[in-house]
Parts: sequence; C-alpha cells; structure tokens
Amino acid sequence: MEDAAVREGFDRATVERLAELWEGPEWLRRRRQQAWELFRSLPLPPPTHEAWRRTPPERLAWDGLGPVLQERGDEVARQGLDGLRGDGPALALHNGAVAGSWGAERLRRAGVVFCDLRTAAREWPDLLEPFLFRAGLRAEENAFTAQHVAFATGGVFLYVPAGVELEEPLVVADWVDGEGLVAPHTLVVLEPRSRATLVQRRTGPGTGLVNLGVELVVRDGAQLGYAQLQDLRGPVREFGVVRARVGRDATVRTLVASFGASLEKLFVESVLDSPGGASEMLGAFFADDAQHYDVHTLQEHQAPHTASDLLYKVALLGSARSVFAGLIRVHPGAQKTNAFQSNRNLLLSPEARADSKPELEIMANDLRCTHGSAVSRLEEPHLFYLQTRGLTRQQAVHMIVEGFFSEVLDRLPVERVRWWLEQKVAEKMGAEAPLGRVAALRGLLEEVAQSR
Amino acid sequence: MNERAPDLVIRNLRAKVEDLDREILKGVNLEVRKGEIHAIMGPNGSGKSTLANVLMGNPFYVITGGEVLYKGRDLLEMSPDERAREGLFIAFQYPVAIPGVNFASFLRTALSARRGYQNELIPVAEFQKILREKLDLLKLDPSIVTRYVNEGFSGGEKKRAEILQMAVLEPEMAILDETDSGLDIDAVKVVAENVNQLFDKAAGNLGIVLITHYSRILQYIRPHQVHVMLDGRIVISGGPELAEELEQTGYEGLQAQFAEVAAATPGDQPVRRAGKVFWVAH
Ligand SMILES: Nc1ncnc2c1ncn2[C@@H]1O[C@H](COP(=O)(O)OP(=O)(O)OP(=O)(O)O)[C@@H](O)[C@H]1O
Ligand SMILES: [Mg+2]
Repeated sequence: MEDAAVREGFDRATVERLAELWEGPEWLRRRRQQAWELFRSLPLPPPTHEAWRRTPPERLAWDGLGPVLQERGDEVARQGLDGLRGDGPALALHNGAVAGSWGAERLRRAGVVFCDLRTAAREWPDLLEPFLFRAGLRAEENAFTAQHVAFATGGVFLYVPAGVELEEPLVVADWVDGEGLVAPHTLVVLEPRSRATLVQRRTGPGTGLVNLGVELVVRDGAQLGYAQLQDLRGPVREFGVVRARVGRDATVRTLVASFGASLEKLFVESVLDSPGGASEMLGAFFADDAQHYDVHTLQEHQAPHTASDLLYKVALLGSARSVFAGLIRVHPGAQKTNAFQSNRNLLLSPEARADSKPELEIMANDLRCTHGSAVSRLEEPHLFYLQTRGLTRQQAVHMIVEGFFSEVLDRLPVERVRWWLEQKVAEKMGAEAPLGRVAALRGLLEEVAQSR
Repeated sequence: MNERAPDLVIRNLRAKVEDLDREILKGVNLEVRKGEIHAIMGPNGSGKSTLANVLMGNPFYVITGGEVLYKGRDLLEMSPDERAREGLFIAFQYPVAIPGVNFASFLRTALSARRGYQNELIPVAEFQKILREKLDLLKLDPSIVTRYVNEGFSGGEKKRAEILQMAVLEPEMAILDETDSGLDIDAVKVVAENVNQLFDKAAGNLGIVLITHYSRILQYIRPHQVHVMLDGRIVISGGPELAEELEQTGYEGLQAQFAEVAAATPGDQPVRRAGKVFWVAH
C-alpha cells in the first residue's frame, strides 16, 4: 500500500503523472495544466477577505504535503461502504483510485454510467467534456480550486440519460489515508426528466489535506438527491466546494453531514438558473474537541419562479468552533422566488462557540424570503425532566441532541442515511448506540397513527 | 394505620431557591407507605411544587436542612435519574415541552432505564405491547406518542401524558402535582379513574402523594390522609374529612385553628385533636 501511495510535489511533473494515471483525453490534460499555471500564480485568499476572516487560509496550507498518487485502490477502502451499502450499485475509492465496483453493468443497460472518474476519462470523455471542471467548479476561483483541478486524484462520475429514473440510491465511499493531499472529485449529470440519488461518504485515517470538488448538474425536469457524509477519522484538514446547477423545473436535494476532520472549510451552493428550479439544502454538523467547521452556503436565484429551502443544524461539544455564513441572493428579474434559510446551533459545552451569519442580497421585489438563525444551549429544565424519567444525564443530553437533529433526519428519504447519522451522533456522544432509534419505532408509530 | 415502616420519610425538610435567601420549605414532615394515598392541599405559593421538585432532586433548589429517607436510603444523596430508576415518579404541574424528542422513543428509553437495561433498549416488540396496553387502559388517543414530548400538547393532554408515563414506568411512589388542574370536569373524572386503576393494579406496591387545590378530585380518589400545607410547612393532617372541612372553612379557618392550638402548646410537638394532627412548631 505504501508503495502505491507515493507522494509527489506540487509540480508540473506531478500534474503529468496524474494525467497519465487518468489516461484521459487531451482536453483534460490541458485543463489540468492550465489549472496548474493558475495554482502557481494565485496567492492564498487574504485573511481579511470576508469569506476567510474566521478561518485564516494558512490553516489549510499544504506545506510539505504532496498529492497522493495512488495507482490502484486497496481492499481496505471497501469498509467505507459499511452500513450504507444495500444490494444496490456501489463504488469504493481509495485516495481516488477504484477499490471496488458493484452493479455498474446493470445500470449500463439503461444507459447509466456510474464509475470512477479515471475510467470515465478513458471511456466516456465526450460525456465529461462539457461539464468536468466547468459546470460547477472552476480552477480560476481561487488557489484552492486551482489546486483541486490540477491535482484531482480521482473521484466518481454518474451520468443518467434523459427520462431514466433510478429508484435505488447509488453509494460511493471515498477512503482517505496517508499524509498527503487527496483531491476527490464528483461529477453528476442528470439529463432531462431523469431521477437519481447518490450517497457519498468520505472516511479513513488520513492526516493530510483533502481538497474536495463536487459538481452536480441537474438538467430540466430532473430530480437529484445527493448526500455527502464525512467522518474522516484523522486530524485531516479539508477544503471543499459542492455546487449544484439546477435546470428548468428541476429539483436538487442535498444533505451535507460532517463529523470528522480537524478543520473543514466548505462552500455549498445551489445555482437556480432556470424558471421552476428548486433546491433543498440540509446540513448536519457535529464537532467536538478542537474541531473547526466553517461552512458557506449560497442560494443563488437567477431565474423567476425558483425555490430554495435551507436547514443547517450544528451541534458543538468540547472547545469546538463553527461558522455558518449563509447567503440568499436573488437576481434582478428573479421574481416569484421563494427562499428560506434556517441555521440552528446547539452548544453542549461552555467552551464551544458558534457564529451564524445569515445574509440577503435581494435585487427583485416580488418574492417570499425568510431567514432565521439561533445559537442555543442545553436547557436545565429539559435535562431535569428527562432525568426524572430515569435517563442518566449523559443519556438526557444524547436524547436532546438526537432531537435537535431530528428535524433534518425526518426530511431524509433514505433510511440508511438516517441510520448512519443516528449512529454518528451516538459515537460523538460516547454512546454505543442511538437512543431514539425513531427508525426502529417507525412501524409502531405508523400503526399507532392508523389506529386513530 | 399500617404498622410497616414508611417507604418515604420526610423529616424537617427545609429548602430554598439557589439565589434567594428566603426559605420556601420551612420544615416539612411527612411519612408515606406504599399502598397509601396522601393528599396535600395548600394555597398558592405555600410550597407544594417545591416539595415535589425537591423530592425529585431538581438542582434548582438547595436543601437547607432536614432529611428524606426513601426505602431506607438517603434520598437526597441520589441523582434525579437514580431516584426515578428506584421507582420515584413525579407528574409535573407544568411539564416542559422538549422539541425534537419523539415521545415514544423517549418513553422506550425511560422504560429501559427503569427496568435496568444497561447500554441497550427494551426490544421494540415488547415495548410496543406495553405501550398499547397502557394506552388502552387509560383510553388515550394513541397519536400522542407519535409527537414530540409535550410539544404543542393542550393543558389536558400534558396532564394525561404524565399519567401515561406513570402507567408505563410503574413507579412505587408517585407525586402527582395538580394533575387535576387545567382539566375540564369530565377529564378530571377520567384522570382520577386512571389513577385509581394504576393504584389498584399495583396492589399495594404504589404510594401516591396527590397535590391538589380542589376537593373535587378527592371525591373520585379517596385519600388515606389529607395534609394541609401553609407557608412552607405541613401544619395539619387528618382523614379525608379534613378536605371537606377545608372546603367549609377555607385556609383561613384552618390557619386560625392551628394558631389557637400552637398558642396553647409550649414546645414543638404534634398535637392530636378532633381527629386531626396539628404539627406545632414555633
Ligand atoms: N424557581 C423559583 N424562583 C423563585 N421563587 C420560587 C421558585 N419556585 C418557587 N418559588 C417561590 O416559592 C414559593 C412556593 O412556590 P411553589 O411553586 O412551591 O408553590 P405551590 O404551593 O406549588 O403553589 P401553586 O398552588 O400556585 O402551584 C412561592 O412564593 C414561589 O414564588
Ligand atoms: Mg404548584
């Protein structure tokens, strides 16, 4: 494994070696070379920049870390799928290289492409060309995106042709280990009127830097569900952009959930550029010890009759720190827009700190827009009430935290993802298992509801 | 009265609120056995809810004196959850709403704790059976368990949800703090029937302390003893007829009686007179 994961420097030779690993077409090689030029010339964003004031860019510096060049994936990476994989299609990646793939052939018969990006670059370059490093994320945005494009180590590609509807969620696990830079990329293209759900988890003992890029292209009338679950175990730092482009009458529903890494700086954005587009953005973040999460969200309404609904929940333990900066931007002419934003933060210790900065940029006048944010602490009367029923204080806190996240959980259509989240919350609480397991009681609750 | 040692013994209990100097409980004495029902009546602000909360270990209150023995153990040393697991229960006068926490899963966790499960929960099927049985017993609208704990419950629903918890957890000693207030006449009757059912079903294994303002509920639930609390102390105890007397004379009448007895009694001691006990303390 060590042999396969040789680290290189941030130089032209590494860009070339990555291009060879990808065996991609010439246009891709050029895009990456251009990105490398940008990477050389772009300075880090200044710490005074509004988006970076609370997380100095130096904290994401790559001094001494080179990209991890992994030729083949190792079996170890398959455990990233544990608990999330049903019988459906799945893909395991190890620092970007394939470590296992299941069910892709069956999808192929419906014209669906579901594979790792290196394979895609070799076999489906024409499908990639209009979108890759174009549709969602561009090298020229800043030094980090330039780094991502130049040194993207691998990733996943999902293409669903027009009118094809996939019931079963597709699952991808990214296993990150080693000390270097891992830059996973995700490209999802849903052609008109198609439907799919992709669940992506990122985990592993890596200790270096992750530079993540996710491009979601949801064309007219298509419906995409995308869950991004992060429980990296090492003291890894992470930069990421998750950007969805939503077509006419199309819908994207994203969930971003983070539990691991020592530092995470994310930009999660939905661009609604055609009438009738809708975006649901859910977030669940739970940090402890000295973890630091800084998340920017953007609900970008460029066209009339578009809708966005954001709910981000953040719980903090220990001396964890979080920043939420959520912007709703409504462009001139984007009338009849509905935009909602809610950010809720729960502090579980006196040292934890959460900042919440909702922001509006409204350039239209006929719309509905609300936003709200709150930072709250545990309430003694709540804890006392639960304790008087026999729950230990620890259990009482756990139950309240589960309750805090339930508003997000209740909106998740994929049972396995709910289960995973409950499990992660329990881990953070130092418990062996979730308490509520509302999922386990669902049958009971339904029966009771019907018996009325 | 029963010769068995009392299961709950409160001796000269004093308590105050953390940041206030004034004592709220000024020496409460009470003994309760399983299989008994005691009613505590007293005007607003006399300290009834404070007593209930102190017995349950609400950290908001500070004990300034006295002791409480429960099943022979020092109750005041125990954490609230330990008290609950040992069978002490309180139905709150004002139950708090806990957003996001599903009632059924909360109750399942609570029952698991009460039944001594460690690091696991009572199996869903078993819990479901118990829950259904109790919902039927109490003739409760089952949809209540699908909601968040007390969130958006009407006053009456909250009180009945407390009794549902009592039914599921099967305590040995239950303090019901004004479970009858805020209920319409029919609901008082239903809740009283519920409490009687639970008491009968427990077959001598449940003691109840019923805090109330109204003698109405005492027409349905016959207490073995009635205690009158005035200004942080239980001053007079008697049989069920004390509630009727209270109805006639009001607290003022009883207070006057007590003052008279106290003036004629030199030391601090219980004085028995006309079927009542006057707890004289100077
Ligand atoms: N948390 C508190 N903070 C300040 N004062 C309190 C607090 N709790 C109780 N008190 C005071 O202690 C006294 C007794 O209150 P308590 O609630 O025990 O009365 P009660 O007998 O239950 O009254 P009610 O019949 O109205 O329910 C009152 O004067 C009340 O204001
Ligand atoms: Mg009261």
